[in-house]
Parts: sequence; C-alpha cells; structure tokens
Amino acid sequence: MMTKLIYLFFLAGYLFIGTAQSHHSFTAEFTAEKIIKLNGNIQEVWFRNPHVRYLLSVETSEEESETWDLRGSPVVWLARKGWTKDLVAVGDKIIVEGYPGHNGRKMLSIIKMTLSDGTILIDRAPE
Amino acid sequence: MPCLLLKANEFDFEGRWIVSLQDNKRTLVGLLEIEKQDQNWHAYLEGGPVGIRINQDEIEILADSRDVRGFVFNRRLSGSLKNNQIQGRYQQEGAAAQKEEPGSWSAIREQKNGSANQLPRTTKPEDLTGIWTATQELDFRKYSMTLTQGGKDWLEQYLPYYDQPDVRCTSIGLPALVTYSFPFEILFSNDRYTFLYEYQAKVRRIWANDEAPSSYMPPSRMGFSKGVWEGNELVIKTELLEKTVRDFRGELISEHAIIEERYSLSDDSQTLTALIIVDDPDNYERKPIRRRQWIRNASTEIFPYSCDPDSFYIPMYQDGEMQMYIDRSPLRF
Repeated sequence: MMTKLIYLFFLAGYLFIGTAQSHHSFTAEFTAEKIIKLNGNIQEVWFRNPHVRYLLSVETSEEESETWDLRGSPVVWLARKGWTKDLVAVGDKIIVEGYPGHNGRKMLSIIKMTLSDGTILIDRAPE
Repeated sequence: MPCLLLKANEFDFEGRWIVSLQDNKRTLVGLLEIEKQDQNWHAYLEGGPVGIRINQDEIEILADSRDVRGFVFNRRLSGSLKNNQIQGRYQQEGAAAQKEEPGSWSAIREQKNGSANQLPRTTKPEDLTGIWTATQELDFRKYSMTLTQGGKDWLEQYLPYYDQPDVRCTSIGLPALVTYSFPFEILFSNDRYTFLYEYQAKVRRIWANDEAPSSYMPPSRMGFSKGVWEGNELVIKTELLEKTVRDFRGELISEHAIIEERYSLSDDSQTLTALIIVDDPDNYERKPIRRRQWIRNASTEIFPYSCDPDSFYIPMYQDGEMQMYIDRSPLRF
C-alpha cells in the first residue's frame, strides 16, 4: 500500500511540472534543461525595458544563416552590472550562452555574452 | 496543482507551522498549514497547495516555486517529527536557473499570539526612509495558490506572457510590485509615506493619518493605502484596487481585494522585511503570502525607467499572432 502511495506522490510531482509548463509563459518560451552557445553577428538591437532584445545572425553554412532572437533582462538590471546600450552594436561579432527556446524555436534567454575583444557580459537576475 | 489525498496516522502533524529552510546561500521562511479531512492529509505553504505524505513520524512535502528568471521547479522536503518539531533535508527538483544545493529544513508550531510573520523583531518603530535593495532571502516564492472556482475559471483562460500587463508596459500594481526585485525608496513627510519604485517608475502614497479617499476616487493598481504602527511593525492596508493579476502565473486579484503588508526593521536598521498577505475571497480560498527582504543601500540609485512595448508587439506581429492577441482584448485589463 505504502509503495503505491509513494508512487502516486512522485507521479503527482511529475504531473505538476507538466501542468506548469503547458501554458505559454516564460517557462514555456525557454527551457532551463540545457544551455547552448551561439556564434554570430548582431543584426538588430532593442536596448529598452521591459526586456532587452538582440537579433543574432548565425551562419549555418557558407551560403546560409539563421536568425536567433536573444532576450535579456530589463535595462536597469543590466545597467547596474555595467552592461550599457553602447557595448553591443549592430555588426558586432559575439558569442552568447543561454537557455534556448522550446520546440526548436530560435530564441535564447541570455546568460552570458562574450564580445570580440574578450569582454564578458553577464545577464543574471539579482541574488 | 493536485492536492494529494493520503492516509492519516496517529502522529500529530496537524496545525500551523513556521517552516525554515536553509541552503548554502539563504534562509527561507514560510507558513505551513497541515490539516486532516476525512482521514486524508492536506497541506498548504504560504496559502498554496503542496503535496504531502505522512507515514508514522515521517513527512514528505512537495512544494512548487518559481525562480527569479521565471522557471518553475519543486522543492521536496523530507523529515520527521520529534519533540513537537519537524526536522529534515530538502532538495530542488526540476530545472531552474537559480540552483539550490540540498539543505536542511525545520518547522516549529506557530505561536498563538503572533501573526504569520515570525521574523526577527525590532524593539520600536524606526526610520524607514532610504533606498532599499532586494535580497532573495525569506520568500518561498510559492507558485500555485488555493483558488476558488472563480479563480480557477479565470486562470484556465489566462495566457501568461500574452496577457501579462508588464510585457506591454502596463502596471501590474499591487501586490506584485512589492515583490519584484527592483530597488525602491521610502520618503516620509507630513504623516505620509511615499514609496518610489524603480520598476515602471511608480509612486505610491501611504497615509499615516485620517486621510480617506473621496467617494469619486477611481480604483487603481496601487489602490488607497493606510499605514499604522502596531508595535514595531508598520502595517499597511490597501483597498480601492483595480483588477490585476497576482504574479506571472496570472491568478486574479479582484477589485474587492485587501492587501496587508507588515514592515519591520532589523535591530541595526539595515534590513527591512515585509510580510505581504492578499485577502481576496473572490479568488482565493486561502490568503496568498509573500515575504520580502531588502537591505539599506545608500550607494545605489533609483534609475529612470522608460518602457517600450515594441519588443512584445513586433515579434508577435512577425509570428502571425496579432489577430489572436486582438481577439483576446476583452480578457485583458
């Protein structure tokens, strides 16, 4: 009997996670299950609240590239860490790490960005 | 969230407990209510349902939470009851950006004469003025709440992100604004506290005198707030609220809600804590509770905050979702 109860308890925990992620929310937009790294060139910059956003062109072959939608924290959070508007501009070559979008969507929630001069920018929520 | 119904036993877990959980970075505090109905156990953390299993003197609790980055995860607390105290270990489950190392937890019975706020107390009211920076201490950030049928019906049709006021630069108001991790400043003059929130550059007035709203004052996301000192706590009650959502999950806050905030200072006046309780029977069977802590930080500044919703509307347009968004307009406010 107890074995069955324990099973139900753990099954409920599993089902709960599934329910929480079934909505179209930030959690549904990105997955914390893995972190990926991208190399590319900045195409567009939105350095504004409520969220900073960059478009990144990533080459997939000599002739082809794909565009990734990079999402960052609010301007005020980034500014406190020294991440200001003029640090990243259109045309800049960067490396970025973050949480990717679900279901193969080419979106990325930024964790870290490395600029061509080696400068590392961290996008981390206040702790 | 499913509330698990499990067999009862003779051990006395029933009642109201103050849970304290320690990982390697911080201490969280919360109100745990354990009840037995029809020989089945039910439990609630900070007003929201949690899974519970009890076997003899052993207990296991599964509580959902949401980290600062927005990812939902669980904490599994296992322990045992001895000498009217519960002690045990806990671990984080599910992927989260804020990783927590396994740690210890304990629970003691809530004192009868106290509120849910059994935090360190000051000896007298102190000067709250200054700039305050949020920490990630205390708050379990309980994700799901115990909703009425009306509250469930609302949540069922709510689309987080699309319907979230913040993404289109609209104020989410209270109580969420109090819980966000942005700094704020407190001013005091002429029997009035003024809270200046960095987030969305919001201003809030808390009257400490007989001020009352005019009969024609419209409701708002900030409501009408009165503050009184009860011992060493500044107790703020806010009414005249406009409909909004409680947090990113989208649970409804009705126009009839009353929000109580209890602020207290540490003995050295450098740490401010708040207990935030939502009383909204239209939507919640139990009062949702949040706790926040800030440290006095004279070296920081309240930054200007302008907001441009293009980063929300343009991708939605590019993804062909604009008509869906327009069709949902009656569901937003």
